Amino acid sequence: MSTQHSKAAKQFLKNQQYAHWHDATFWAVRSKRDKMAYGLDEWEQLREKASAIKRHTITHLDEYLDQFATNAEKNGVEVHWAKDAKEFNEIVYGILKNHNVKKMVKSKSMLTEECEMNPYLESKGIEVVETDLGERIIQLKGQKPSHIVMPAIHLNHDDVGELFEEKGISNEKGNHDPTYLTYRARLSLRNEFLTADAGMTGGNFGIAETGDIVVCTNEGNADMSTSCPKLHIAAIGLEKIIPNYECLAVFQRMLCRAGTGQPTTTYTSHFRKARPTAHHMHIILVDNGRSEWIGDPEHWESLKCIRCGSCMNTCPVYRRSGGYSYSYFIPGPIGINLGMLRNPQAHSGNVSACTLCNSCQTVCPAKVNLGDQIYLWRQQLDSLGTANPEKKMMCKGMGMLYGSPGLYNFATGMAHFANLVPSPLLNCGLNPWAESHDMFKFPKKPFHEMIKEIEK
Amino acid sequence: MSSKEDILKKYRANVREQFDMPDLSDIRAITYPDPLLQFMNMVKSVGGNAIEVDKGADINQLIKELYPDAKEIASNLPEITIATRNPDDVGRARDLNGTDVGIIRGMFGVAENGCVWIPQQMKEKAVCFISENLIILLDKSQIVNNMHEAYHRLSTRDPKSGLDLFDEYGYGTFISGPSKTADIAQVLVMGAQAARSATILLLPE
Repeated sequence: MSTQHSKAAKQFLKNQQYAHWHDATFWAVRSKRDKMAYGLDEWEQLREKASAIKRHTITHLDEYLDQFATNAEKNGVEVHWAKDAKEFNEIVYGILKNHNVKKMVKSKSMLTEECEMNPYLESKGIEVVETDLGERIIQLKGQKPSHIVMPAIHLNHDDVGELFEEKGISNEKGNHDPTYLTYRARLSLRNEFLTADAGMTGGNFGIAETGDIVVCTNEGNADMSTSCPKLHIAAIGLEKIIPNYECLAVFQRMLCRAGTGQPTTTYTSHFRKARPTAHHMHIILVDNGRSEWIGDPEHWESLKCIRCGSCMNTCPVYRRSGGYSYSYFIPGPIGINLGMLRNPQAHSGNVSACTLCNSCQTVCPAKVNLGDQIYLWRQQLDSLGTANPEKKMMCKGMGMLYGSPGLYNFATGMAHFANLVPSPLLNCGLNPWAESHDMFKFPKKPFHEMIKEIEK
Repeated sequence: MSSKEDILKKYRANVREQFDMPDLSDIRAITYPDPLLQFMNMVKSVGGNAIEVDKGADINQLIKELYPDAKEIASNLPEITIATRNPDDVGRARDLNGTDVGIIRGMFGVAENGCVWIPQQMKEKAVCFISENLIILLDKSQIVNNMHEAYHRLSTRDPKSGLDLFDEYGYGTFISGPSKTADIAQVLVMGAQAARSATILLLPE
């Protein structure tokens, strides 16, 4: 009866010590977020405003996209539009080819993950170097991110130390101190920044009124990626456009407080024009499903997401199962929902990775109704043809049981006889109610009878 | 049909209920009785240094005392006489690599988070990131409470100089403390890809 997610989670939980660390680490991030949120009297008001701005903007995106593109072009920026991942990758490659680019440094972008840009460019002979430390680590390891803000969270310092030794980044064998390893990565990446022909950034926000691309980082790698190379390409999903600076202030204040529990990222950089000594700047606006998702009456609000990661940090299932247990490249509550919008047949296994506790939508700075949406997706599994047959049968059985009071009273009255079944038969691994613990005991008297006696 | 038209057409066909823009003028944003003090505390808490410079003090002397071993100092500010490199004159941005101390000017600070607004005022902005240590000169009277005030200020022309500072170079950034990362096992390390230390020199009126 296990879903794809719960099977994968079982693997994650084999290393109990690490699983415990993972859970505690994310809970600490969640606690830091709380400290930030409680430090501002206006926090809940900001969430209201953020949600309302996004609701407005994503339902008027045609106007704002047009305004954004017009202003960016006025700034001398070349604006491209990509319908899907394929067109996006081809546009990027076209620009790089025109400028004879051999090596490109890039800052973190979930959009390029979504479009699987790196393998595409590499197949065309272009070297792509990730410059966010976590992204660089998993790139060297040949892995995918396990969290959208902390992509290498599934590796410990020994894993990273051994990787750096193997790749010749660190030269003191056995020195796995994070400060030392970070310093060695700095030296290695510095060389990449200085020798790259192009730099690519994502964008946390696009400002319609000014044409700015706004990128928030702690490492300064987006700024390093665009300070030395002569070419800057920015890639941004349609839904990242917001009207103006007044709106940006609301999101800038929330993004990092919600995501990592810091008052701000170290750098909040506004890219409006190319450097005077560089080529034209290019911005690629990417649809890849978004213009369709806006029409989904139950799930369009997933487009409000600002990718802070707070829903996964707080999620009891994410914390105890890790990013790789989900089939979509974005894990946690927002990833469950975006995966279902992308391809429900492929990603239905994720909707069980939720206890419906709704902690995600309680912390979400843009008030995306994440838990409610997961609940709604579950209602659709049968029509999608991805409902689990055993669970379906159980539901039918429960429907019969709860629909008939006589049968229900008889069954609960008799249930305690099941206690007489020898334990090895009940706790044999075939009974899903006896996983990780023994089968519970049915009480001698059902609740209805007990309450009647008390009320006598 | 171009991809732009395709996308917009598809979007217009699919979008359902439309929502109004909320009123943002009633946000009760945090303010501080002493914004300068709050700013200094925040700079410290994000791993930076904030130093109040006495009236009449020699900034060049002060920087030398802060970084006695610095060999390469980069700045295009006229008041910095100890600079060995100028980001306006370098042949290529990468020639600024190996800068021990970069000195730039900030326009205003933000009390709630220790950010300083740095509009690009030099040919190669690399100096803001590539330098091992960054020094930001900031008039201590120029502190706003929060990001709402900050972005309001950026939406209008600079009251001091009358300039829209995007006009010239088209780039600006808020910097709060030094470059940092916790990507290896969630251990906080200062000095990821950009400046390893950030010092704000708060200048008197």
